[in-house]
Amino acid sequence: MKLLGITGILAGFAVAASTLSATAGEVMDRVTKNKVLVVATDAAYPPQSAQKPDGSFEGFDIDVATEIAKRLGAEVKFVTPAWEVITAGRWGGRWDLSVGSMTPTPERAKVLDFPAIYYFTPAAFYVHKDSKYQTVEDLSGKKIGTCGACTYEAYLKKNLVIDAEGAPPFEYLVTPGEIRTYETDVNAMDDLRIGDGKRLDAGISALPTVVEAIKNGYPLRVLGEPVFYEPLSVAADKGDAAFSAKLGEVVGAMRNDGSLTKISEKWYGVDLTKGD
Amino acid sequence: MPRILGGFIEQPRTKWLLFFLAVLAAAFAFDFSGTGLSELIMPLTGLGPGEEANGTDRLLLAIMLAVLVTADVFLVLRLPFVVQIGVVWAQLLILFLAFFYSFDLSFPFIAARLPILIFTGAFTTVYVSLISIGIACVIAMTAALARLSNNGPAYGIATFYISFFRGTPLLLQVYLIYLGLPQLGVTLEAVPSGIIALSLCYGAYMAEIFRAGIQGVPTGQAEAGTALGLRPVQVMGKIVLPQAMKLIVPPTGNQFIAMLKDSSLVSVMGVWELMFLARTQGRSEFKHFEMLITAALIYWFISIVFELIQSRIEAYYGKGDRR
Repeated sequence: MKLLGITGILAGFAVAASTLSATAGEVMDRVTKNKVLVVATDAAYPPQSAQKPDGSFEGFDIDVATEIAKRLGAEVKFVTPAWEVITAGRWGGRWDLSVGSMTPTPERAKVLDFPAIYYFTPAAFYVHKDSKYQTVEDLSGKKIGTCGACTYEAYLKKNLVIDAEGAPPFEYLVTPGEIRTYETDVNAMDDLRIGDGKRLDAGISALPTVVEAIKNGYPLRVLGEPVFYEPLSVAADKGDAAFSAKLGEVVGAMRNDGSLTKISEKWYGVDLTKGD
Repeated sequence: MPRILGGFIEQPRTKWLLFFLAVLAAAFAFDFSGTGLSELIMPLTGLGPGEEANGTDRLLLAIMLAVLVTADVFLVLRLPFVVQIGVVWAQLLILFLAFFYSFDLSFPFIAARLPILIFTGAFTTVYVSLISIGIACVIAMTAALARLSNNGPAYGIATFYISFFRGTPLLLQVYLIYLGLPQLGVTLEAVPSGIIALSLCYGAYMAEIFRAGIQGVPTGQAEAGTALGLRPVQVMGKIVLPQAMKLIVPPTGNQFIAMLKDSSLVSVMGVWELMFLARTQGRSEFKHFEMLITAALIYWFISIVFELIQSRIEAYYGKGDRR
């Protein structure tokens, strides 16, 4: 009886949802037909993606996604699943595209397509503004915080693999005493904000994120030059080669006609779309 | 000797002195220098702002605090009971708000985001929770009856279900339904997935509440019903359940309030409930505290409203006890 009830509910939802689910290879058709491009964004990272008080979004990734949709002849619509849900792949047609400053790692490439790298973000160390450390090398043996299972943690652990064309080479300058990882790299900034050396001695994150935090009153200071440049790509679900090819074409055109550069200068003040 | 000491402690005046000393010791142990509280009292101790408090200043501060607290408790105890509760609530609330206020929050930032937090966030949280608790009640009742039945398969399925959904984290269940079901060809939207996960999880907990409620009705009641010639369904519906409700309602209200907050887990699927919006909005300008505290107060307010509703329902089912 109970089982019947549950399966009944499930079946009901399934009927309602069956129109929403798409089989592989149909993303391109769906976008062309509905004239809507559904883009997943993790709105936790100004100036890439952040939510405004009215619920709409703004940022570099948002502008790039909007431009891609425009060139596909579609309206853009944003959804906000958790980052790990986006990177898990198998989107089941819930959304078509991620323009989320995602690093195309070999692991992720098993479940997602990376049709086009659209910019390179500099990764930099930061310390509390009262900190005595002056160079990146000073941080060896110290407590350093960053996001868990992200490229910055990989850099600290010295097993970072950047497998993309045009990415400049880098070297490991620091051997941390202790690596503390958080849900996002912004949490590390909150811990460093409490006081120099209280919970952390330093952190590593995307330079634009650190700059944005400082702009918003975080007592932090960028330490030295960026330590590596990370290529960031748009991502699509596996299985629709036509859609991925089209995305590569669109982003390539945006790079060539300078519109990517323009968006980058609007949000970062510099052109980050070239890997040097 | 112990009797003399006992008599000494029993003296009302001595009790107050001991209370005063205890507060004093606690206040002295905690270093208030540099906090908003000390700045409030500092002028009285003759210490300028920013100056380091020495031992005498700290003692002076502690004495003042202890006098205040003791006088406060002394006065409050002289009030009628109902007024006492009101005064205590008001004082704790003021302390609480002063604590938040001391974080130097940006109120324009909160004001700009209050509409979306309430009309989208809190609204989503409440409606997802209400639908889920409704479905959970149906599931729980079915599972409880199956658990109490002599039907082997029904008993087996019910215990398996209760065991699994109580024994695994809700977050994992949310992921299983949202990411796992599409592998079987069923792709659900975020809100239905969340409602299913919450209903199944809470249905399992509440099945045990319902079972306890039903078993809490003395068997003589059911026997009497049967003796009067009522059919088993009538015995359950007209005699056992109305009495069981009295036992079921308080813990169910408890579950609902817990669910209000657990519903924040559905945010991993991108549902814009209160916690999701509080986190996301806070990150837009790195003002996490503003949004987290606002969300906390909104959750609290909603919980209070539902606590009041629960006490009404309790009064309704408890009317059999009144004479």
